[in-house]
Amino acid sequence: MIASAEQLEEQIEALLTAPTFSLEPSEHAQRLLALLQRELAHAAARNPRLREYFNAWPIDYRAATTIADLPYLPVGAFKANPPLTLVAPEQIIHTLSSSATTGQTPSRVALDTPTSRRMVKGVVSIASDFIGAKRRPYLVIDTPETLAGLGDLGARAAAIQGLRAFATEMVCCLRGATGAEPEVDEPQLLDVAARWRDSEVLVYGFTYVIWQHFVVPLRERGVRLAMRNVRILHSGGWKRLQAQAVTPAAFAAGVGQVFGCDPARVLDFYGMVENVGVIYPDCEQGNKHVPAFAAVIVRDPLTLRPVEEGQQGLVQVCSALPTSFPGFLVLTDDIAQVVHYDGCRCGRRGIAFRFVRRVPQAEMRGCGNIETTRQRPPAVLSVHA
Amino acid sequence: MPEIVRQFSHGRELADAAERLRAQALARELSPAQVIEILERWGESLRGTEVDAIPGVPFLKIWLRRGTLESMVVRELGEEGLRGSWREEGAARLRAFPLGLVGHWPAGNIEIQPLLSMSCALLGGNACLVRVPSGLIRETGLLIDKLAQVPGGNLLLERIGVASYEHERTDLQFAMAESVDGAMIWGGAEAVKEIRSLPFPDWARVAVFGPRLSVAAMDGESWSRDSIARDDWCRRLARDVWQFDQQACSSPQMLFLERSAVGDIAEFARRLTEAFEEEQELHPRRTIHAAQTSAICLARATWLLDDATRRAVFPATPDWTLLFGTGATMPTPTQGRTLSVLLVDDLLEPIARFDGMVQTLGLAIGNRAKEAALAEAAGRKGVDRIVPLGRMHVFGSPWDGTDLIRPMVRMVRHVAANRD
Repeated sequence: MIASAEQLEEQIEALLTAPTFSLEPSEHAQRLLALLQRELAHAAARNPRLREYFNAWPIDYRAATTIADLPYLPVGAFKANPPLTLVAPEQIIHTLSSSATTGQTPSRVALDTPTSRRMVKGVVSIASDFIGAKRRPYLVIDTPETLAGLGDLGARAAAIQGLRAFATEMVCCLRGATGAEPEVDEPQLLDVAARWRDSEVLVYGFTYVIWQHFVVPLRERGVRLAMRNVRILHSGGWKRLQAQAVTPAAFAAGVGQVFGCDPARVLDFYGMVENVGVIYPDCEQGNKHVPAFAAVIVRDPLTLRPVEEGQQGLVQVCSALPTSFPGFLVLTDDIAQVVHYDGCRCGRRGIAFRFVRRVPQAEMRGCGNIETTRQRPPAVLSVHA
Repeated sequence: MPEIVRQFSHGRELADAAERLRAQALARELSPAQVIEILERWGESLRGTEVDAIPGVPFLKIWLRRGTLESMVVRELGEEGLRGSWREEGAARLRAFPLGLVGHWPAGNIEIQPLLSMSCALLGGNACLVRVPSGLIRETGLLIDKLAQVPGGNLLLERIGVASYEHERTDLQFAMAESVDGAMIWGGAEAVKEIRSLPFPDWARVAVFGPRLSVAAMDGESWSRDSIARDDWCRRLARDVWQFDQQACSSPQMLFLERSAVGDIAEFARRLTEAFEEEQELHPRRTIHAAQTSAICLARATWLLDDATRRAVFPATPDWTLLFGTGATMPTPTQGRTLSVLLVDDLLEPIARFDGMVQTLGLAIGNRAKEAALAEAAGRKGVDRIVPLGRMHVFGSPWDGTDLIRPMVRMVRHVAANRD
């Protein structure tokens, strides 16, 4: 039987308000499995193409006994245009886009009001566990223009907005029109640094934006902020910094130097627009964890079965939060290693994992790997058999 | 690293090695007949647990038989060519001479390709410098080691160099290209584009094989014959898909199926699924690149999400995938044992849309006249090989519409002065 929207909302809320990282793993798995099955039924009833995909899946999701058996979508499926949705167009309030590199098609996910609200609650629930629930001044290392989009939000804007719930006041410390290279708004920055000098301040920015447009120019100019109580969160991946040979340790040291804080106050988290509302900060053991309303499965590329502890594989992210788009079960293009299935010394229960890298581009494949075709419509051809 | 495979780190070393190989080939002439004699012994010696485990070795053994090679030489160079002698042509006489040193850039996915490529140039009397992809070093070494153990093997070995270097080392790619008199290039689009642009000498002959893709087609008559024939066609198709993990230019990426052939697609899907399951049982995959797994998962999802009328069958593993739909347009190939099955009213419809990219058309056609008509149409639409299903990978000359020996020899014409 398909759950009504109200019933689903109630069940999602129950997991959203459950202890974020302390559910016993088997209880967590059972509760999440039951909810995901209802969400899949809900999605199948709203989207005939998804229904066909679920029907083709080798295991009937209604009879699945583990989350790993449920039908997942590859992350590339979210590049569809128009985006995959489960709600009427008039219900969509935002469309989030991923930060695709030049030439790539970004993923796009449609958010309605309930999903958007859950996204914020999810981020707050996770981040609180790492930085505390207290509201505080919020320094955004980005431009106000990044947040200016009305319906369409980029990944940067979505991440900034996701943490806004922690803010008593928000200030963007870069300036520059969209498309132009941003630069530090130094008067603005120095003003807030003076005002917030002794406060606990939340700082957020995309990893490469923080480095390229904040740390590097401020270090060159010898600017030191003396904000020793900041907590700096950053996300967006390391790809662009790897090209500049900036390691995570060098990054944290550089950020700490500019803010005048301990580099340990710099916290990297992984997140993706297709998995809205779930972020994966590193715990003090250097591992990532999943909250009660989500799961991560690391699959062996050869069999697609979950790997053993210590092994690496393709990351699948699972989330109970979205109901406006089918982002419940998403196979990513990232490789991670499972450190433990339970028992991380940080005390958080369930899987502890580490991201290893993006799936490398396939090495040059065989002579059947073509890049160009020149198919023409048959109308211009004449074939006489 | 096997002894025969030499790691290069400087362009000068490669150029010196190339010069020595060329000198060997020019110093001692070997006729195609002599080369065939040694190659046949080599083929017979290819046995043992390690060698038997190399994909494609049974085919390589057949390829190296005298019967296979002699007929190819005779077809391309003539009877006299087999003996390395002149043949009369009117007032002139003609004879094949080697180019000198032929560089080989085989694809990284076919274990026996370095040997197949090399054997063609050796038959032309050339020396060979093979840049072996990093994934094939062990297999290439094992197979060439066997050549050292057969009588006369050293005659060929002294004119074979196997080079290993990172493919990003453009300086070494340049050095190798500058050192050769001919090149046989095999591989995917990216690799071929890169190697074609290397600075070969102006006189060098360059033969490119791939990138291409291949297609299967089945008509109503072949399908409606009887149950045994149906299963047989499905098995043949599965075998063609499985070999080389569907990464070869001769691998079928899609099957065009005449609508009248099946009526209800369900029975066809069931039988083809069984054939794929059998093949998987016999030849399970040992490794896969994570990017290939991602591509397979994406192909399954997008196929069904793009069009609600489509169907698909696949296991929970990435082992194989069948995507069922309609239409004469060729979908983008996924490889990794992912076959699109497309219903069409008339097999000429998809053939009419072929561009020069289709190498092989594997046919299951019940009627000889119809098969001939399809072959005619396909030939005009750029297809180079039209073969029955189950034989799509049988390597032979011509390949990609090109001879295999003749491009690496010079046909020297001698017109004697009239002394009467």
